[in-house]
This record gives sequence, structure tokens and C-alpha cells, in this order.
Amino acid sequence: MGDALELMGLTKRFGEKVAVDGVSLHVPAGSFYGLVGQNGAGKTTTLSMAVGLLRPDDGHAKIFGQDVWSSPEQAKALVGVLPDGLAMPERLTGREVLTYLGLLRGLPKATVEQRARELLAVLELDEAEKTLVIEYSTGMRKKIGLATALLHAPRLLVLDEPFEAVDPVSAATIKTILRGFVAGGGSIVLSSHVMALVEQLCDHVAVIDDGRVAAAGTLDEVRGGRTLEDTFVELVGTPGDGVEELSWLTS
Amino acid sequence: MADQLTAPRAASPATTVAATAVTMARMKLAVLRHSRTGQQGQMTLTGVALGGVLALGTLWLSVTQSPEMLAAAYAVWLLGWLLGPVIMGGGDETLKPEHFSLLGLPPRRLATGLLMAAFVGFAPVVSLSALLGLLVAGVRLGAGNALLAVPAIVLQLTLFVLVSKVAVGALSLALRSRVGAIGAGVINGAIVAGLGQIWVFFWAFGETGVPGLVWWLPSGWGLRAVEGDLVALAALAVLDLLLLGLWAALLSRRTGARRVNARPRRPMTASTANGALIAKELRTWSRDLVRNHQLTFALSYGVCFGAAPLILGWNGMLPYAGPIFIVMAASMTSSLYAMDGTALWLTLMTPGATDVRGRQLAWLSAVTPVAVLVTVGFGAISGGPWPLLLALLPALLGGAAGLVPVVSIYGLVPGTDPHKRGGNPLRISEDNNGLTGLAYLMLALVAATGAPAGIVAAQYGWAGVPVGLATGVWCWWFLGRLAEARLRSHGPELLHTMRTGRKAASSRSKRFEDLPKSKQTVAWIGFGLGAIPLFPQGIVACVFLANGQLNHSWFLATYMEPGLRWSVAIGMIVLGVALYGMGLYAIRQPSATPETAATETSAPETTATPETATPETTTPEAPTKAP
Repeated sequence: MGDALELMGLTKRFGEKVAVDGVSLHVPAGSFYGLVGQNGAGKTTTLSMAVGLLRPDDGHAKIFGQDVWSSPEQAKALVGVLPDGLAMPERLTGREVLTYLGLLRGLPKATVEQRARELLAVLELDEAEKTLVIEYSTGMRKKIGLATALLHAPRLLVLDEPFEAVDPVSAATIKTILRGFVAGGGSIVLSSHVMALVEQLCDHVAVIDDGRVAAAGTLDEVRGGRTLEDTFVELVGTPGDGVEELSWLTS
Repeated sequence: MADQLTAPRAASPATTVAATAVTMARMKLAVLRHSRTGQQGQMTLTGVALGGVLALGTLWLSVTQSPEMLAAAYAVWLLGWLLGPVIMGGGDETLKPEHFSLLGLPPRRLATGLLMAAFVGFAPVVSLSALLGLLVAGVRLGAGNALLAVPAIVLQLTLFVLVSKVAVGALSLALRSRVGAIGAGVINGAIVAGLGQIWVFFWAFGETGVPGLVWWLPSGWGLRAVEGDLVALAALAVLDLLLLGLWAALLSRRTGARRVNARPRRPMTASTANGALIAKELRTWSRDLVRNHQLTFALSYGVCFGAAPLILGWNGMLPYAGPIFIVMAASMTSSLYAMDGTALWLTLMTPGATDVRGRQLAWLSAVTPVAVLVTVGFGAISGGPWPLLLALLPALLGGAAGLVPVVSIYGLVPGTDPHKRGGNPLRISEDNNGLTGLAYLMLALVAATGAPAGIVAAQYGWAGVPVGLATGVWCWWFLGRLAEARLRSHGPELLHTMRTGRKAASSRSKRFEDLPKSKQTVAWIGFGLGAIPLFPQGIVACVFLANGQLNHSWFLATYMEPGLRWSVAIGMIVLGVALYGMGLYAIRQPSATPETAATETSAPETTATPETATPETTTPEAPTKAP
């Protein structure tokens, strides 16, 4: 079996700034792949290009061998995406969002209804039955986003900061769902800047720094004998240097 | 410790207020400096030019005409400040009250600061130059009067700015509830329509000159002060203070949470992809208070515009309320895609669904029943020209349903995501000028789609109806297809625009600036002047000719020999279309193919070095090559 996601030389410039500079990654099928990097390292830009939400200046992205840009229909049917900070159809309830999106994906109505019911129950969103998405809290938004990503039973999940602003109880729920997804043969790519979380969940990891891949491979290959955090800090920066205390806070 | 705490407060309250005000004014200045370029800059430039002409006109009145005329002119300026922001979506919101909510400023200080910032901008400067007319009026009277003009100008300008702020604040409050949104829509539509038909009222009240009312409106108080009426000057100052207090009160209420409609939900009956799209869209239509307001405004405008001449006992305009409603509804919804913000990503990730067709059908099902009801009902009352009405109805409905998606995609003005909007519900985008421009463009384009059917119906009667049906269906089909294709080919670029709130250093504005000066001039002339021959002198004149009304002074065609009237009116339409076409042609030059256009959108640096320019202009073509 080939790669679930293959990125080849993805490049994106915004003005003078090269946000992503020739990123190539291989995400093996069945792997739980973590993408770590500082804020602004290019994680979101890379993932957006990987799934077809942002047109790269150069390079290609393939999902199970299907090119995202030349055969988008096939590629996009295989992937579920949770982008970070994008809007939803805000004036629908959670159930309406899932039902309508499922129908738009071409699923039969009975299937859509059943999946929507189960997803809402598992993600504990069914109590907010009459609440419009615009009134959701940040954590609820993440959960309904995850539900839309799972709805059409994709084989690859691409999740941008899925645990940001999610409370610990919901995070545990999400982790269980994601582990189950991988155990069932699915593949996941997620981005995060919480090292502990990536170490806990992922079996593969790539460190992105300044738009480039600083290291990639299995978790053990990348971190060696140390913690991921130590490796990460060594790869992307030098701690302690040039950081001064805010003297006026302590006086 | 105690010293440290009290130290910042040692300054007098007045100084603190002034410091806040100056800081906010400087913030505003900084923002303006950053937004001088690009399309927004161009729009601003047009606005300033237009305002400058109006200000010069006012000054000319002050030099040459009687004070009544000047008072009337200032009444119009006041009305502009009052209604402008309401119509154009919330007025100047460069600095939002929400930005300062964490600072814990007292409401009065916040309001004073924001007021000071509100004075920094083009509209106040333009108005200030118009208000120099007060100085001219003073000089004409004497030295003392000229001296009085100085405080009068300051107070009058403050009044303008405050009136606009209070109007927006009150409306924002109203728009928190459905009843408020609908009520505001009805009232605003009625006021704007009333302005459009103001001649009816003048005629009805037997006013031949300037109504005496203009002296009593606050807009005239400055002039009265200049003429020596110190009570008026004091009253102006008191009114300013009252408005400031009112505004402060409104600001402190604004930061509260919006109330959202939470009634039991309708059961979902859709079972197909297209059904889901329509249902999704229709639910948004009925739940989004901004959309409620837009449609009610359009309906109120159409009905009031058509009904106003009833005051004179003339019902000839009544049956056109329906067509006017359609045109206005299209104009109000010209930012259809922008209103959903970055939710566009779901459309991109769901290939195969025909998003545009669903939205077209939803738009039609929201507008058509009302439009038909109004047209047929009012047509029955006035025994209206049935061929013309029934020709216009399908032509305009189809035209609008085609143009709304196409304009809102091609001319995408990035909207603010619904959950990130501030306390001002009218404000759906950071680029207000862009939205206004789009609304006017839509007004013009939709009216144009009714022209062929209207002309045929006016000339040959019932033959217009099939023409209207044909053009309506064609517009719906062809323009919808155009929009769908654009959405497919440029989806990621559109999403990027929404995401960053900027036209990805993009397409039109950047390319526009890159055009040679001569082409820019051609484009400005085309877009700037096209509307006049096309609409009033062309289409409206046709309508008047068809109805045999030949005494409307503004329309060239009505002055012509009988044999020439139609030729002149149609010639005007052709001229208008040609001017628009000329403008379009001028700006379309640099983008030879869709592929290169896509490249420019994703490649902000047109001044890049050859090494970087090469991949930008070549590689993106590869991914867009569909199988």
C-alpha cells in the first residue's frame, strides 16, 4: 500500500515572504502523522495546499495517489478536513450542518441521518440541538468541524490544530475517536504545537521550521533517545538566548 | 505603591479625555495610511472626488445664491450623513468600540475618543470644505458674522458626524431582534424611496421654492448663528452634547451579546444534494437578521417608490413596485458569497455539488413570490400595462438570479466571518466602499437585463413577454454557469481572499494600478459615466416614452421630435453599454487567459526578480490543467 498523503516540493509565497519552501512529506497509509512547528512556521499553509484549499506556487499533493489539483473529485472524496479558524454555515444547527453536508456529498438520506445522530451523540453535541453554530463555543466549533470531517467516512483525516481550545474531557473523547479511526485502517495528519500531545498520539512526526521540513520520520527516528520537545527546541531555536526577563513585572 | 496607582490619574480628567482622543485619532490616521493603496484606495478616491464636487457646489451656492439655498444644501448634507451609513452598511468603522472594550474606558471618554477619530477621514474633510460656505456667508454679512462662522462650522461638523454615529448605533440595536431588523428595513426603505421621489412631496405641498423647514432643521442652525442668532449657536452646542451622551449610551449597550433566534427548528425534508443546498440557503435567509433587513428594505423601497406618486393621485408608477423590488433586492444581496465568509472551504471540499444553482434557486424562492404578488396586485389596482409588467418580471428575476452569484464571485469583496463580526450587524465586511460599489454595479446590471424585454414590450406589447422569459432564462442559465465555472477554477483564490480579508495582492486592483495611465482613464470614464446614458437617459426615458409622459425635464429623449424620441433613448442605452464595455475592455487587457489570471492572484509580487517570476507565471498552470 502506498502513501495516504504525498507532498512533493510544495511551495507558497506571500509577497516577499516564502511561507512554505519546497515541503515534501510521505504519510504512509495507516499512520498517525504529527506536524509540529512554531506559530507561523507554515503548518496551516502546508495543510491547506495538501487538501486543495490553497493553490501552491509549485509542487504537488496526492491523496492515495490521486492528485489534489488534477483530479480533485477523487482526491477530495477520500479526505476529511478540519481547518483551523474557518467559518461554517453559521446559521444552521449542528444537525442541519451534518445533514445538508452529507446530502451534498451524495450520501443517501437515511445514512446521513444515522451518521449525524451518532456523531452528535459521540461528540456530545446533541444537547445543543437548537443552537446555531454561530452561538457555539470554540471547543464546540472544533467538534462540529471534526464531525463534518468524519461524516463521509474518509480514509484520510487532515486536522489543523484539532485540540486547540478544546476542554480536557472533549479532548479525551476526540483522542479516542482518532485512535479508533487509525486502528480501523484510517490515516491521520494533524498539526499541533503541543509536543506532549503529538508524542502521545502519533507514530510519525515531521518538524516544520520556517517553511521547510527540519526533520521527518517515525517518532523514534526524529526524537532519538530524548523527548520530542528537546529535539524540537534544538531543531528550531536556541532557548535562553536573548530572552530577557520583564523586570518591571517583578519589582 | 499607592503613589504608583494614583500617579496616572493625577492628570485632570479633561487632559485624560484629550489624550485618549488624540491617541484614537492617531490610530485612525495610521489605519488610513495603510489602506491608501489597492482597490479600496481607488474607491476612496472616487468618493472623495465626488464629495469634492458636491462641496464645491455648496460653496458656489454660498457665494452666488440666497441663504435659503445654502440652508437647503446643508439639509441635504445632514441627510447624507444620517442615511449614508445606513444604506452603505454601517458607516465608518475603522476603529470599533469592541477594540477598546478591555481597556475599561468610561463610555463618555470612549465616545469622545471615537468621535475624535471619526473626524479623521475623508468624509469629514469634504464636509468641512462644504461648511466653509458658512464662512463665506459670514463674510458677506460682516466681520462679526465671519467670526461667528468659526464656532458654527465646528459645531455643525460635529453634528454631522454625531448624527451619523447615533443613527448607526440605534439601528445596530434594532437589528438585534427580528422585529427590529424588519422594522428598520421598512423604515429605511421608505426613507430612501421618499428621497428618490422627493419631487412628489414638494409638488403635493405646493412648495415652489425652498421649503421654510430648512431653517428649522439643525442643519440650518449654523447658518442662523452666522446671521447673528446666538440662540441657534447655543442650541447647536447643546444638541451636540446631547447626541454625544446618546451615542455613549448606545456604545455601552452595543458590546453586549447579540440575541439569536432560537425557536424550535423546522424538520428537514431535503433528500437530495440540490435540495440540501436550497434548504441550507433558505434557512440562512430566514435566520440571518442582516438578510431579513436586506429583503425588507428592498420591498419597502419598491412599494414606497411606486406608491409615492399616489399622493398626487397618479398611480402610474405603482405597478413598477415589483420590478423595483427585484432590482433593489439583487443590489442588497450583491455580496451573497462574501456574507458566508470562509465557509466557502466546505464548498471547495465538496466536489460535485453545484453550489451556484442551489443559491440561485434559493434566491428565487425568497424573492419571486413577493415580487409576483406585488406586481400583479398593484398592476390590478392601476390596470397597469400588463405586457410591460409581465415582460419585466421574468427578465428581471432571471437577470438578478444570474447576476447575484456572478457578481458576488467575480467582484468578491471579502466579508467578515459571521462569528467574528463586531457589534454592528450592518457591517459585514471591512471593505465597505467595495460593498457599496458592488451594490451600485448590481443595480445597474440587473436593470439592464430588463431592458430588452422592456423595450420590446413598450413597442410591441405582448411580444415582450416571450422576450422577457427568454432573456431571464438565458441570464439565469448562462450567468449561473459562468459563476459555477469561476468558483471551480478560482475557488482556492476566493477562499484566500476571504481568509486574509485582502484581494490576494490580486487581480483587479493590482492589475489596475499596473495599467498604463491612459487605460486607467478610459476605464474610469467608462465606469463613471456609463450609468447616466444607460439608466436615466436610456431605460427610464424609454419607460416614460412608452407611457407617453413627455414633460420630464431631465430626459433628453422627451425633448426630441416624435420620430427621434425612440432613437435617442435607445441610442443612449447603446452608448451606456458601450461605455461600460469600454471600461471592461480597458481593464481586461492584461489578463490574457484564465490561467494567467489565476497566477496573478496567487503571486502577489509582480515586481519580482526574473528567477522568482518564472515559476509564478508557469507552474500554476500545470495544476489547473483538468483531465
